[in-house]
Amino acid sequence: MAALGGCGPVVAALLRRGPAPGLRPVPRRYLYKKKWAATAPRIPCTRLALHHFDVNYSLQLKDLWPSVRASLLCEQKYGALLNNFSADDYVTQELELMNATDFVSEGSRKAQQGAAAEEVRREESRPQEVPGKVRTVMQTETQAEMSPPLRASISSNIKCYTYPRGDITRFRPARQDSLGILDYYLMDAASLLPVLALNVQRGDLVLDLCAAPGGKTLALLQTGLCGHLAANDVSISRTKRLYSILNSYIPKNIRETVSVTSYDGRDWKQLEGGTFHKVLVDVPCTTDRHAVMEEENNIFHKRRTKERQMLPMLQLQLLMAGILATKPGGKVVYSTCSLSSLQNECVVERAVDIAETQFNISVHVEDLSHFRMLFQDTFSFFSDCRLGELVLPHLTANFGPMYFCKLHRV
Amino acid sequence: LGKKMRMVRPWHRLPREAVAAPSLAVFKARLDRTLTSAAPPRGGRAVPGMAGRLLRGCVRAAGLCPRRAFGEAAGLRDMGFSQEQAQRLLGVESRLSPQRREAAVAQLLLLGLNAEAILGLLERRPELLRMPTERLQERAGKLRGLGLDGGQLQRALIRCPELFTLPRKRMAAAVRLLRERCLFTAEQLREVLWTCPNVLLEEPHQLHHHFQYVYFRMGVQQKEMVKARLFRMPFAELRNRHIFLERRGLYQTPCKGQTQTNNPKLKDIIQLSEKDFLANVAHSTPEEFEVFKKLLAREEEEKEEEEEEEENRDALYTEEDEDFDSEGSKPARE
Ligand SMILES: C[S@@+](CC[C@H](N)C(=O)[O-])C[C@H]1O[C@@H](n2cnc3c(N)ncnc32)[C@H](O)[C@@H]1O
Repeated sequence: MAALGGCGPVVAALLRRGPAPGLRPVPRRYLYKKKWAATAPRIPCTRLALHHFDVNYSLQLKDLWPSVRASLLCEQKYGALLNNFSADDYVTQELELMNATDFVSEGSRKAQQGAAAEEVRREESRPQEVPGKVRTVMQTETQAEMSPPLRASISSNIKCYTYPRGDITRFRPARQDSLGILDYYLMDAASLLPVLALNVQRGDLVLDLCAAPGGKTLALLQTGLCGHLAANDVSISRTKRLYSILNSYIPKNIRETVSVTSYDGRDWKQLEGGTFHKVLVDVPCTTDRHAVMEEENNIFHKRRTKERQMLPMLQLQLLMAGILATKPGGKVVYSTCSLSSLQNECVVERAVDIAETQFNISVHVEDLSHFRMLFQDTFSFFSDCRLGELVLPHLTANFGPMYFCKLHRV
Repeated sequence: LGKKMRMVRPWHRLPREAVAAPSLAVFKARLDRTLTSAAPPRGGRAVPGMAGRLLRGCVRAAGLCPRRAFGEAAGLRDMGFSQEQAQRLLGVESRLSPQRREAAVAQLLLLGLNAEAILGLLERRPELLRMPTERLQERAGKLRGLGLDGGQLQRALIRCPELFTLPRKRMAAAVRLLRERCLFTAEQLREVLWTCPNVLLEEPHQLHHHFQYVYFRMGVQQKEMVKARLFRMPFAELRNRHIFLERRGLYQTPCKGQTQTNNPKLKDIIQLSEKDFLANVAHSTPEEFEVFKKLLAREEEEKEEEEEEEENRDALYTEEDEDFDSEGSKPARE
């Protein structure tokens, strides 16, 4: 976890370069000079973050890093998550006129076509059991094995519109219908992938362990399938935002079935163990895009070094709590918006290991590679991810970063 | 009377000593000399013969030519244009009087441009034919004054015919800026001018910004700017390429005093075609660069709007204007 500390000798040298002068705002008359100044008075957190990423991600992503780097530093793309509870029927038309498409239904169409083609292949391969064809048959069988999740995984009611690759059009702000309910929620479209991967079935008891501000909670509610939804977040102020999102998007009767809590997610197991069919663990992370773009609330602030170094530990504890909250046979999806393998694959591996050795719980990592195939038109996936899937920001499809990995509690 | 005045005018465009010649033979000799010194032949083109043609043209323009029947084309052929070139030339500003046409053409010949170059120039910039010849002369003199010798002057003019029409004040302001603010040496200025004459067309504050961007933000010295032919590429394009490299992590503003960097050479950023730039310098694809340019343009637009708003807000609260020097830190020469 040394790399995560982000305090290698180079960063330290950068930091040493001069004491931070007073924090008073710069008088306007100096702004022009500042524009050309080679050395800023204080090194901005965004610079530290970028330097840290340069060191780590160039190793992890190799040749892909420059392209991802430029994308992180440019305006991100959004998706419009349609609000199925809104009475405004014209939104879809409006969006389609603007050339936006629902990537979820496109993916499920692909999946159906894939499944249909497979049917045909299976039909064809049955009478042909000639010795020479063994390989074909075996291939068909593996595909047949893969097909149920392939078909099922996206039979959700979630609709999310995005503009095509390379199109930088922005969505208008959300609008209220006659009852005051907003018509869509703008979010990083890649954030829906963990929710789609969770694949909520009718009547499922669902836990969203780190829910605020509530984008994924909202998506979970759009499925209309949750038997019960528990949305938790340790931060009181952020849970307030979660409430306000629920208020603006979800009708009262449904809203009231969601239980919002503010526990420390690490303690969840002490409250309710093994109760949920589906658990989403969308952990706090280095929020890579935010870290290189915004000074405010930046995790690379010197004051937050300890907190940053402890992130993988916190993530591991939260994932463990998530696993323990799952019923045997249930599923957990772990997700971050960071590219860091230390916060992604490593955390998952440790959690699987600890579940086995310390809790005697067997957990399997599920293959999600079909997501790559189904959604490759919309997102750019990293092809060398050891476990789970990683969406890489790309200028023509500037979503993510988004890591997600699905676990099955046996 | 008016006609007579006009017919006489071309004489005044010729160098004074040539015009004041005692005889035609002496005049021709002096003219040859003038041409040779004003425009050393490039590639050994025989200028002396041109004097004869030019002379015949001028004489004709002055109404001294007895062979009016040959018409305008003949006059131009006398000045060294082929039949086909003469016809094309006559198609440019076809309503112009033969005298004015030939006077202007004679002036361009005097700058040492050859027939084909003149034709090309006038086809691109027909309005040059209508310019008073003393303006052409005056402008050429100014450029020579900046150190451009014949060949360089010709190349500058062919590359950038607007040099003739640019207001004198604007040109002077740009030159002053390059020397006094950007601190190019006289020698560097000369090279900038003949390699990138369009630099003089830039709005001075725009030009200053262009320079400062490359000097401070890209950390490039004057010498390298000259060598790279900096001003050949429009600023917006240079900035697109530079910021693209910067965001990809391939370009860093050097620290004060830092001399060695891994940054790509300015020359390679500026002189390669977009395709080669992407393939060999940025290691990226046209698709990415296309989107990037759109995004950057929008960023800039919004930043400007924001700054404007901020200024308006500030204006509301500022009681008295503080006096301050709005220039950025001054560049230094290497
Ligand atoms: C990446 S955000 C979640 C985003 C959210 N799922 C969404 O889609 O809008 C991580 C959240 O984890 C919360 N968090 C941090 N530590 C926590 C803890 N110990 N227990 C529960 N939540 C925690 C933070 O307050 C933050 O809101």
